[in-house]
Amino acid sequence: MSDFMQRGLDKVQGVTEVEEAVIDGIDVSGYWSRMLEERTTLDFPTDALDWITGLAGGESLRDCYQCGKCIPVCPIQHVGDYGPWKLFRKVQRGNDLMADPDLWLCTTCANCLRVCPKQVNLLEIMPALREQAILQGSMPDELGEVFANLQKKGNPQGESPRKRANWATDAGVDVPIISELGRKVDVLLYVSDYTSYHPRGNDAARAMARVLTTLGVDWAILGKEEKSDGDSARVAGERGLFEMLAEQNIETLSKYEFDKLVVMDPHAYNAFKNHYPALGGTYDVMHYTQFLAPLVDRMEFKDRVELSTTFHDPCYLGRHNDEYDAPRKLLEAIPGVELIEMPHYKKNGYCCGGGGGGMWMDSVVDPHVSERLSERRVREAVDTGAGTLAVCCPYEPSRFEDAVKSTGHEGQLDVRDIIELLDRAMHPTHYNTSEAEAE
Amino acid sequence: MSDAVLVIGGGPAGMEAARSVADLGSRVVMVEKRDRLGGTPDEAGYAALTPSFESAEEALDRMRAGVVDRPEVTLHLGSTVVEASGEAGSFSVTLQNAKGERVTEEVGAVILATGFQHFDPGRETQMYGYYEHEDVITLVDAEKMLKAHEFVRPSTGEKPRNVAFIQCVGSRDRRIGNEYCSKVCCGISSKQAIEVRRLVPDAKVYIFYIDMRMYGYWENQIYWPAQEEYNVNYIRGIVTEVVKKGDRLLMKGEDTTMGRPMEVLMDVIVLAVGMEPSLGTRSIASIFGVPQNKYGFIEVPGEPMDAVTTGVSGIYVAGAAAGPKDLEDTVSMAGAAAVKAVGLLRAKAKGAA
Repeated sequence: MSDFMQRGLDKVQGVTEVEEAVIDGIDVSGYWSRMLEERTTLDFPTDALDWITGLAGGESLRDCYQCGKCIPVCPIQHVGDYGPWKLFRKVQRGNDLMADPDLWLCTTCANCLRVCPKQVNLLEIMPALREQAILQGSMPDELGEVFANLQKKGNPQGESPRKRANWATDAGVDVPIISELGRKVDVLLYVSDYTSYHPRGNDAARAMARVLTTLGVDWAILGKEEKSDGDSARVAGERGLFEMLAEQNIETLSKYEFDKLVVMDPHAYNAFKNHYPALGGTYDVMHYTQFLAPLVDRMEFKDRVELSTTFHDPCYLGRHNDEYDAPRKLLEAIPGVELIEMPHYKKNGYCCGGGGGGMWMDSVVDPHVSERLSERRVREAVDTGAGTLAVCCPYEPSRFEDAVKSTGHEGQLDVRDIIELLDRAMHPTHYNTSEAEAE
Repeated sequence: MSDAVLVIGGGPAGMEAARSVADLGSRVVMVEKRDRLGGTPDEAGYAALTPSFESAEEALDRMRAGVVDRPEVTLHLGSTVVEASGEAGSFSVTLQNAKGERVTEEVGAVILATGFQHFDPGRETQMYGYYEHEDVITLVDAEKMLKAHEFVRPSTGEKPRNVAFIQCVGSRDRRIGNEYCSKVCCGISSKQAIEVRRLVPDAKVYIFYIDMRMYGYWENQIYWPAQEEYNVNYIRGIVTEVVKKGDRLLMKGEDTTMGRPMEVLMDVIVLAVGMEPSLGTRSIASIFGVPQNKYGFIEVPGEPMDAVTTGVSGIYVAGAAAGPKDLEDTVSMAGAAAVKAVGLLRAKAKGAA
């Protein structure tokens, strides 16, 4: 009898995946061993469901009545075999998800919650479950590294906090630091992690600096005092770390006077708007698109930007915070921009895969999906015929630019933050000069 | 020409119809085969009503108070209709009591409120073993235990660890001949599941279903609390076999959401038996020559906009004599039947004058 047949006689009750399994020389470890499951259900153990629904945040998992509405709208389901209802069924069969790779697939994009008639809230369930997995020491190494960076350096990349405002040097305008101004400002700009450190984020930061300056806004940044907002760490399961970062930011902000807190990152916007108040930090916070949209009449566009553009709604600006109009108002204000919507847009926007810690877990997610969410999204953008994919979340330029390359669309789709497009139309000479310099 | 309405059946439908006719100022002749009013909820000993959890006894007492000791109502308890003749406006109906004594009443209109009976699980075609295994019971049996505020394994008297409700027993089944949904069983099972969880908090309670039919407010008043607050486990898929294993019951079926077989040990299995026309409904239909549908319930040709007028002029129907009904349907039909019956009497009286 072959090994495979002998193996086939084993009962692997309650085990959904075997970590390491080689059968007849074929490696069926992990995901591939799902075929080894005992087919007949011998019990409906409730321990796992009882345990999860006993966790703060896990309660609503029990409310699932298995309509399956969440499955077709789950971005992971489009590229893999995963969805909230499927998670519920696993739990109903006794899997506490602690060792299940599914635990790390959710991007907290909130599209399931949008359609769920019973309001089963993965945005609360996932952080609660991941926190338990982290406590049990079973989190992906990639995530561990990011958490360590956030703790030690205050940013996920592990960059020096002193370099947080280095982008400002090349902005071409003065970038005021609030501690150096020593006075109240109208607008404090929270730059955020990827805008501060990623080269493509830097482009957006500099564009924002120029636009604010031209508009005559009284503004400043925190500079090296700024730390990560912590929101993605929170949904990735590190609530303690989130609270630490939040407390540090709240303390820093308490030293200064400003009317509005304007943020570049929708994740940071979500944190400041919805999660900092409970920790004692309440601000008049706006995403930068919300701040700029009412000012379009004051913007002087010196050049047409002849572009057919599609727009990717960030989950944390759209579904999480119900803002769909401000980015579109800005895009439509730019002379020469033609906006073509993708099939999945606004409330049904397709996730880029970066949320919920996904930004840091591509290598964890990759084995479970046929392609990355960013790749799928890029295909959808290319199919519109637009030459530009406009974004307004700093997670996206790097994700989508990688996806443009990996899907073989290099040269066909230009990924641009909306602020870059605004800046280009307002300050064309800056771009002409830069390009001339580059040549 | 008679100014009286005959109400046949003393359950919720009959009591509400009689009260309504009397309230409209007409005379009622009421006949009930048992020695007391209350009908099936009384005879089967219902404990708590669905979805309100109100005591069935208290609710029935209120209904009884609407008909007893009223000058408009002549009550014939322990009696049945044995003969009828005549037509709308002037029926002549012969009643007979247990002693064989007969009395003839002249009435202008008739309301049939002869109700349903619970499906006999011995007729089901799966192997549920109601007559083989003591721990396989029906909703009616469960209700009796719940009324006594206990829920145990009938075979041992011990508290059960695993309790299963199996839905659609005798309903939605062409093989059995009952193609209709019995309408109330999903709600009653869920109500009982809540009561079982209250009485035996350590028990796991499962409901195996094809579709949960929790229409209207039953959804949020019964189904959601059962699932969300009382942790009742709803599993889609119907059980097709119950066999003895040791001193427990091995329940076999297919979990259709997962697409795989299930074999789970249970301590008590409750069969959610549906509704069939009562013997009284079948016999009264033939006595009055009222057309029945293929299932034996009284036919209501004007449905859905007229839910109470039968195929015979002057004869109306209320409650589960006309098919599966919940209590809301039942009392609503009773009121509508009363209005139509009294309306007919008045029209006839006007015509005669």
